[in-house]
Amino acid sequence: MRTKLFMSAAAVALASVSMAQAEDSSDPIIIPTHNWSSQIVMSHVVGQIFESMGNSVEYVSTDSQAVYESVRLGDVTLELEVWEGAFGPAFEAALEKGGLHDAGDHDAVTREDWWYPSWTKEACPGLPAWEALNDCAAQFATPETGDKGRFLGGPVDWLKHDQERVDALGMNFVVVNAGSASALWAEVGAAERDKRPVVIFNWTPNFVEALYPGEFVEFPEYVEGCKDDPAVGPNPDMTYDCGNPANGYLKKAAWDGMEEKWPAAYATLKRISFTNPQIAEMAKLVDIDELEPEDAAAEWLETNEAVWKPWVDGGA
Amino acid sequence: MTVAATNASAPMRPQSRPRMAQFLFAAALCLAVAKLALPDGLVRPPDWLVWPFADWFNAVFSFIRDDLGLIHVTRAFADGLESVLDVTANLLYGKNRWPRLGPIPWSVIAITAAMIGYAINGWRLAAFAGLTFVWIAAMGQWQWAMETLSVIIVAAPVSVFLGLLLGTMGWKSARFRLVLNPLLNVAQSLPHFAYMIPVVVFIGVGAKAGAIVTIIFSVPPMIRMTMLGLQKVPSEVVEAGHMAGATRWQLLRHVRLPTARTELLVGVNQVIMQCLAMVVLASFIGMPGLGQKLLQLLQALKIGRSIEIGITIVLLAIMLDRCSKAWAVKQPVHLEKGTSWLMRHKLLVIWAALVAVFWALSLVFPILHEIGRRDALSLAAPLDAIMDWIIGTLDPVTQWLRWFLIVWVLIPLRDGMLWLPFSAVLVFLMAVGWAIGGKRSALVCLGYFGLIAMSGWWDRAMITVYTVTFAVFIATLIGFPLGIWGSRSKARAQAVLLVCDTLQTFPSFIYLIPVIMLFGVNDVAVVGAVVLFAAVPLVRYTIEGLRGVPEAQIEAADMSGATRRQTLWSVRLPLALPTIMVGVNQSVMFSLFMVIIAAFIGTQDLGQEMQRALSSSDVGKGLVLGLAVSFMGLMVDHLITVWANRRRRALGLS
Amino acid sequence: MSPSQPVISCRNVWKLFGPRPESYLAGLDPAAGFDAIRADGYVPAVRDVSLDIARGEMLVIMGLSGSGKSTLVRCMSRLIEITGGEIDVDGRVIGALSERELIDLRRNKMGMVFQNFGLLPHRTVLDNVAFPLEMRGQDIHARRARALEVIELVGLAGREDYFPRELSGGQQQRVGIARSLAIEPDIWFLDEPFSALDPLIRREMQDEFLRLQAMLGKTIVFITHDFDEALRLADRIAIMKDGAVEQCDRPDRIVMNPATDYVAKFIEDVEKARVVHARALAQPVDGQTLTGAPVDGSKTISQLARLLVNDDRAILPVSGPDGRVIGAMDRQQALDVLLGAAQ
Repeated sequence: MRTKLFMSAAAVALASVSMAQAEDSSDPIIIPTHNWSSQIVMSHVVGQIFESMGNSVEYVSTDSQAVYESVRLGDVTLELEVWEGAFGPAFEAALEKGGLHDAGDHDAVTREDWWYPSWTKEACPGLPAWEALNDCAAQFATPETGDKGRFLGGPVDWLKHDQERVDALGMNFVVVNAGSASALWAEVGAAERDKRPVVIFNWTPNFVEALYPGEFVEFPEYVEGCKDDPAVGPNPDMTYDCGNPANGYLKKAAWDGMEEKWPAAYATLKRISFTNPQIAEMAKLVDIDELEPEDAAAEWLETNEAVWKPWVDGGA
Repeated sequence: MTVAATNASAPMRPQSRPRMAQFLFAAALCLAVAKLALPDGLVRPPDWLVWPFADWFNAVFSFIRDDLGLIHVTRAFADGLESVLDVTANLLYGKNRWPRLGPIPWSVIAITAAMIGYAINGWRLAAFAGLTFVWIAAMGQWQWAMETLSVIIVAAPVSVFLGLLLGTMGWKSARFRLVLNPLLNVAQSLPHFAYMIPVVVFIGVGAKAGAIVTIIFSVPPMIRMTMLGLQKVPSEVVEAGHMAGATRWQLLRHVRLPTARTELLVGVNQVIMQCLAMVVLASFIGMPGLGQKLLQLLQALKIGRSIEIGITIVLLAIMLDRCSKAWAVKQPVHLEKGTSWLMRHKLLVIWAALVAVFWALSLVFPILHEIGRRDALSLAAPLDAIMDWIIGTLDPVTQWLRWFLIVWVLIPLRDGMLWLPFSAVLVFLMAVGWAIGGKRSALVCLGYFGLIAMSGWWDRAMITVYTVTFAVFIATLIGFPLGIWGSRSKARAQAVLLVCDTLQTFPSFIYLIPVIMLFGVNDVAVVGAVVLFAAVPLVRYTIEGLRGVPEAQIEAADMSGATRRQTLWSVRLPLALPTIMVGVNQSVMFSLFMVIIAAFIGTQDLGQEMQRALSSSDVGKGLVLGLAVSFMGLMVDHLITVWANRRRRALGLS
Repeated sequence: MSPSQPVISCRNVWKLFGPRPESYLAGLDPAAGFDAIRADGYVPAVRDVSLDIARGEMLVIMGLSGSGKSTLVRCMSRLIEITGGEIDVDGRVIGALSERELIDLRRNKMGMVFQNFGLLPHRTVLDNVAFPLEMRGQDIHARRARALEVIELVGLAGREDYFPRELSGGQQQRVGIARSLAIEPDIWFLDEPFSALDPLIRREMQDEFLRLQAMLGKTIVFITHDFDEALRLADRIAIMKDGAVEQCDRPDRIVMNPATDYVAKFIEDVEKARVVHARALAQPVDGQTLTGAPVDGSKTISQLARLLVNDDRAILPVSGPDGRVIGAMDRQQALDVLLGAAQ
């Protein structure tokens, strides 16, 4: 008797599921977080949006390069910040293997390049032009680089081709690779004490802008092909004789199975798009105002309802 | 083992060992001097010598993963583990999973910890355990700490169980032991990152992956202690079991394992400590909690707040360490006859009552249930100020030191290392091996470093060797005098050892930022970070060695009219030297672990490549690099163990 | 099984330690000595031992450390597998028993006491004593009752909730004895049970042991390296050296007639008069005429000292347990034992 009742209840439940086809699965949507604030807050913002739609959401912290393998396998459902410069290659490699796809661009553009904190300009007034930087290379010298200037690059695995650029532009600099982003910021933090000039690898949007104001070095403008074709750019014999694109993409990526499993959430994801100021605002809430990411996300959602409501309602 | 060693060297005449070693030293020197005249194949490993181990590993891995379908097994296992993790996660921090009871109020957990501390070792431990949790709650770290504990609470028992199982099998079967022992040696010297890559491939990311990495890392000491404990069970006790007519299983369950209790509990203690050591590293593959938060804070240069988390990790470590150690030495005591049920279970009843009271209170006063980040205390501001002050004060000194070390020491040393022909290095190592342990040790050295040469990472490995060698050298300069100083009185020894313990349990990542701020992104910072870690075992073993010299020897020296200095140099140090060398051995091991982590500062060694392998999930490359590091450690371990054993025998110690 | 059948019977028992003991033993020259075997890289712990132990008898195996006595007793209980020969216990070849049968045998017939007590440190006195009963699956009430009974028997009543660590050495060995008696074994092995105790306690425990034995009448194999202890307790003594039994006989016979030089060296310092009983000196009457009251055959010569010195008969009649004359003792010979023979 009881089993029969139970079975008929299950049948009803099944029927209701199949009737409402657009219903999202009750399994949690798994959102990866990385080790920089804006991405964490953005993940929580999107997660809370999904939750407001009745989905269940979980966060998992992962390596920002290895995450694409996880999205591909469906271990995590999506990725909210795919930076062209930093993660383009990993994303495209995963795209080729299959299992994930491009879920649209944010409005925000990204830029990654050589950067200096504002006090550096006092020692080297001609900045931000790269020729000026090259002229005061000695100002950036350190014991290990002798009389050449030191450029502190990101970890080697970010594949920024800084050495190639130094060679192609004939710069009087040595590239030293830091082991992590923290190492970059620590170096800037230490330089601030005695206002020592430094030039490091940096990107925007990034919380450091709020901590230490500064500017990007202006290299010869990026043109299509300058990284592959020696003829393009000022140096006719070498590649990489240009800066990085000043407006790289910032994409969202989604697991191929997401659309089927959580159709409503997926539709929202496609519509989501943040701008540079919005991302900076999110980072600020955590890095300067010392909020926890969850609280920062809640606060951002509260003050920006006009921005995100249309994403949920279908924009129509 | 020892028998084999003596047998191998016995037939040789006593002079032939140093003579052969001298010959090899001379050969190494010739190879180095004649570098320019050497064929390329003797300067750097020629192509035919470099084998594509990474490709082979990858092929094997993809075969067992895809063709054998092991991935389904591991994933199924991980899913099982995850459902257990969900339970603890729900209870401790209210993750929305079955049984949906949690989160337990922090005050209830704190009072439970205090009661456990009291039951195990009285008031002091109770206060320490309780206050640790009060600190965590008051600092607003409750959620993260519980995320961490929810994994450890599952990982540690699984480790203990697996360790018992494998240890028992290893104890039982010599053949299994033959496989197990080398695996354990490699496992205990393999850098953490090398484990993580296969785990990401086979398990994925998140709390379950963190739990599994933690388990893999913490199980070897448990296996070893289980084997040791079972071996040490007195034969008479076992015979008594036999004569009582116990079956094999009864014998294991009722006689051997309970009698090995002390060793097993030492194993449990080590498991717990290893679990805590993995808190930060496991967050690289998605373990939530304190480690993840710590990395985020460091990323944002919030040193004060990351130190707060570091303090929490140290407090948790000390608390769990004290509890498990006290539990290990606690022996049962009988209760008087006719004690009532209530008295027999007094503590349990009091605990239950307190839990009920605090749970009820926490419903009335939410502050006893959860302390939000906004209500929490923070030491970040003063800590940041202290750090700033320290760095500001030290800066002029370090500026000079940094220039001096880089220009006059490190760069020449590194260039020298890289200049050396690989053949000269191999012959030199054989000479060292021969001098210390005869032919067998020479072959061991050749084997380990030969494989490193064949891995194709020779230059990177040499940079690692150079960093570690220099760091251990500096660590000796610091640690040895400090150890001698610390060994003078019991109080000093305890104080120094406490500092050592704290330094060792403090998450190593936190050191990286101040070290960069002091020295910049360069090898001085790397060496500095490594030295901090490498000095700890040296200090510890110097103190233990010196304080462990038998009293009779000291009295004999005193009665011979030796001054304190004479006693130290002629009696204490020679007798303590074997123990101190064990410290050097550990120092090398610690350096090898730390040098990999120091890749986050920026290095050009194996550690940096390891990071690249991790971010591209390249299992084969990660394993090859990891094994290269592991082989360096194992070679040093072999040499020092052989030397120390010979020395001990010569001194008639043990 | 007839009552006269020995309870334990060893036939040419060998135990060799070494790389391939069985095949080595098969090719071994029967006359090979201890040193010859050692030279081949084998350790002969037990060499060609043949012994019978009768029901209710107490056999003491005596030897210095390394003489193989502990190994021999472990062969009898099959804690160690023998290399050659055969051991029968209660008429069954113990080496042929299956694991199950062996466990049953130990659970029901054998008890053993160990030199260092072999107590389980994590169990109370009660649980230690009840351990063999627990192993054979007796229910908790029955085993508790029986354990309390034996604890009482060895004089530890009131200590049953203590842990071994909380007891003195003598008390711990009482626990060991109680445990070995819990299953009411027929055969009782004691491996140097009192060696780890200090001399005063040892003496007390020997008395205690004799009291128990008088009450229980078990078949006992008792190992010791203490010749005085052996003389004090034994019905028969087997003296071992280098794995072989040098002599196995009643104490007074050993004292009177040492079989080898080794045994002779042992008895040199023994006060023979305290060991030798009158009956051991009794010769067949052979038609001699005996006069006067007989002396009690079960008394030692030293107990009879006054009588021997004061009596003027050359030949004294000796009476057995039932009072009948069993033989005649030469008074001079008895006085020689008492005072030491004129050299």
